[in-house]
Amino acid sequence: MILDLERFQAQARPRWYELESLLTALESRPDRRLNPTEAERLQELYAQVAADLNRVTHGALAHELRQYLERLVARAYAELYYAPPTRSEIWQPRRWLRIFTAFPETFRRQARYFAFAVLITLLGCALGGLSVRYDPASVDVLLPADYLRNPGQRVHEEEQGQGRHLDSAQTEAAFSAQLIRHNIEVALLAAALGVTFGIGTALLLFENGVLLGAVAVHYTQQGFGLFMTAWLLPHGVFEIPSILIAGQAGFYLAQLLLRRREDRNVRKSMRDWLVLVAGLALMLVWAGFMEAFFSQHHAPVLPYGFKVAVAAAELVLLTIYLVMIGRRDIDVDARSSIPSEN
Amino acid sequence: MTDTQSTRASTAADLTIVTAEGVLFRMPLAGPASRLYAMLLDTAIVLGAVNGVGLLVYWIFARAPGFGFMVITLAEFAIGFAYSALLEGFWNGQTIGKRLFHLRVIDQDGLPLRIEQAWVRNLMRVVDALPFAYLVGGLSLLSSPLMQRFGDRVAGALVVRQTPLAAPVEEFWMRQKYNSFMDYPAIAMKLRRAATPELATLIQDALRRRNELAVYARREIYRELATYLQSEISPFPDELVERLSDEQYLINASGVLFADQRRSRVQG
Repeated sequence: MILDLERFQAQARPRWYELESLLTALESRPDRRLNPTEAERLQELYAQVAADLNRVTHGALAHELRQYLERLVARAYAELYYAPPTRSEIWQPRRWLRIFTAFPETFRRQARYFAFAVLITLLGCALGGLSVRYDPASVDVLLPADYLRNPGQRVHEEEQGQGRHLDSAQTEAAFSAQLIRHNIEVALLAAALGVTFGIGTALLLFENGVLLGAVAVHYTQQGFGLFMTAWLLPHGVFEIPSILIAGQAGFYLAQLLLRRREDRNVRKSMRDWLVLVAGLALMLVWAGFMEAFFSQHHAPVLPYGFKVAVAAAELVLLTIYLVMIGRRDIDVDARSSIPSEN
Repeated sequence: MTDTQSTRASTAADLTIVTAEGVLFRMPLAGPASRLYAMLLDTAIVLGAVNGVGLLVYWIFARAPGFGFMVITLAEFAIGFAYSALLEGFWNGQTIGKRLFHLRVIDQDGLPLRIEQAWVRNLMRVVDALPFAYLVGGLSLLSSPLMQRFGDRVAGALVVRQTPLAAPVEEFWMRQKYNSFMDYPAIAMKLRRAATPELATLIQDALRRRNELAVYARREIYRELATYLQSEISPFPDELVERLSDEQYLINASGVLFADQRRSRVQG
């Protein structure tokens, strides 16, 4: 009980109140900008109140007073060291449209994780395909859904247009929403499972690959290769790459977490993960619409050749987009070494 | 830069920030229970919003239920993620539920949450919610010194408790002109020496909450405190104490503990 609390408070209270009102004023400003006088005053008061806090902490007397001062110091610290984006910046459409160029840029910058995702999926495809090819009994295990096991029946049903309601556009719209939602959930899970140091991501990709390989070989064996290509590819050319990009995001995240201790800038690197997730979500919206409204129409209505041509055109456009759009020469080192000061 | 340390007599943990200038301050971390309540409330709000949107959509798409279903499914999905991410990103790290339960999401270094961090920690819910009822997130939180679920760890964010605090005001018992206890400087000094911070805070809180306490409770509490002080800590002369109410006794004691000694001495 050394500190003379009342005298201390009487002396210090004016500066606490001044700091508090300065902070309240700042926090209510939309741009949170300081003029030079205010900045200087804030810095001064921050130092003084921090010293006050120090005295109270060592006195260990007034719990509430200490909490009050800690809160005040924390608020001042936040104002001094962090400038949030201003409202005008946030609502600029250009800022939001930048996702369309940022996505391919990020995709290229982190291309090695994409390559790894492709590799894992290909391994899965190979396993699935070879199993079906050399051990037909494995079909029952690998392809759980009935329609995947009996291609002949499925093709017949599809081409007859069975199971379709008269008002097919309505059904397709509802179907597309479910597809979009489900696919984004799965892709997001693959991207988020990077926290398992990439193991969860790899398992998901591998499983996906096995299924893909098994279906492809099974349908081709039974002579429905063209049907399958026309059935799966119009949406698959977006859906499969987007799952691969989800894997890319997952492995990127795993790598970030593994070297977190050395890299203090890790929170800034999270932006790349976000951009990849946002981009793949947009791709899956397109894939969902294609799958519901286009892929499910078969030969009498839409010739298979046309469907495959559409798929090929989509693939070409997607490739051009991912490889060409945005700045070509991103100086990675220069970018990551500039500390952004906000 | 960050460290944890537990406060006295409570199980809660703190985030300790040491700034570049060597300033040290602490922020109390939020426990799983309050976060769960806030989340349940937010879930209820989201469900309400989704149903509101749903009614509107059914009305608009009355003749095209398929398209209505599409809009609802996608809106529900988007609102589910965007609600928390946008509110936390643009509203000082708080959703409606968090604000009501006095919680706030901040950066791990004590700075405000960035928008990217808000999105990352909310998108990561797909992992934290596994396999059901946020089991993974809950275990992560309980095993983390900073009480972070996986989403928080990845985003470098954490949730702090931010109960509203009133600015310290001058208490009426410090303003008294004359404190009869000061006439006995030796006993007063004994009180100042012997009183622990806990006891001093207890006396002060008892006085501060004078009007929140029921009359009989106040009488009882003040009597117990005054008797304890008089018999165990600072035996002021009986002829003085007999003239004082228990409340006045505590006000005087509090004056001895907290008030400006020099001024009192001049007056006394």
